[in-house]
Amino acid sequence: MERWIALAVGVAAWTLVAGVAVLIVNAWADDQQVLAFFPIAAAVFVAALIGEVVTDRVFHRQPGGAP
Amino acid sequence: MSLVDRAMTGRELHDPGFIRFIFGDTRMAPLWAAARLYLGYQWLNSGWHKVWGEGRWINVPGQDGLPLAGFWERATAFPEEGRPPIVYDWYRDFLSYMLDHEWYTWFAWVIGLGEVLCGIGLIVGAFTGLAALGGALMNFNFMLAGSASTNPVLFVIAILILFGWKVAGYIGIDRWLLPALGTPWEPGTLIRPSVAAAPGAVAPTGT
Repeated sequence: MERWIALAVGVAAWTLVAGVAVLIVNAWADDQQVLAFFPIAAAVFVAALIGEVVTDRVFHRQPGGAP
Repeated sequence: MSLVDRAMTGRELHDPGFIRFIFGDTRMAPLWAAARLYLGYQWLNSGWHKVWGEGRWINVPGQDGLPLAGFWERATAFPEEGRPPIVYDWYRDFLSYMLDHEWYTWFAWVIGLGEVLCGIGLIVGAFTGLAALGGALMNFNFMLAGSASTNPVLFVIAILILFGWKVAGYIGIDRWLLPALGTPWEPGTLIRPSVAAAPGAVAPTGT
């Protein structure tokens, strides 16, 4: 069950990244190409960080909390 | 052993260390992520214009793909002076065939949605190598059709990402997707779960 929740969190995080990218392109299109890079990069970084944390907690640590 | 046999003996030629570092080391992942995001944004922006923009190619009143038909007409035309945009006759014939059969009505969907998917795939780092390959193929076709624009630069970036496919999506979904799915020559943990259980095997998370 915990692994399925981890998978759902990962899918949700990366779906949000795709959503953010589409929204930013929709809002700024050609006008702010340089500025558009930063929120998209930040979203990717946050999603990757969430993935690392969830992976570490669910898949790497042994039951009982020992790393 | 004859000269031909000696010359054709199988030998594996190894890449130098710095090439393996650039194209296969996860420490280079931030650089590849930046290249990936730039290319992905360019494709998503380009696809957005074709799918949702004011001058969109598809989902319009009347016939879809009329801007694409115009592009193909200009590309296949012979100007009164100077050289035609397309150098290769076979490619001109190919575009003329598609134009004559009104393939632009559905091909505009392929290009528009292909660009959007390529952009999103590169941004989230899912199947990064395939997304870069798709982008490179589109750049290649635009260039064959005589449209330079940003295509040469985007093509080079796509080819570089293609070379670094193993690590280009590491700060992305490929970090988890590639170890799970694997490759045709090395199935991942989702295809062969026994790999994950074997001692010393790569964890399903890719570490």
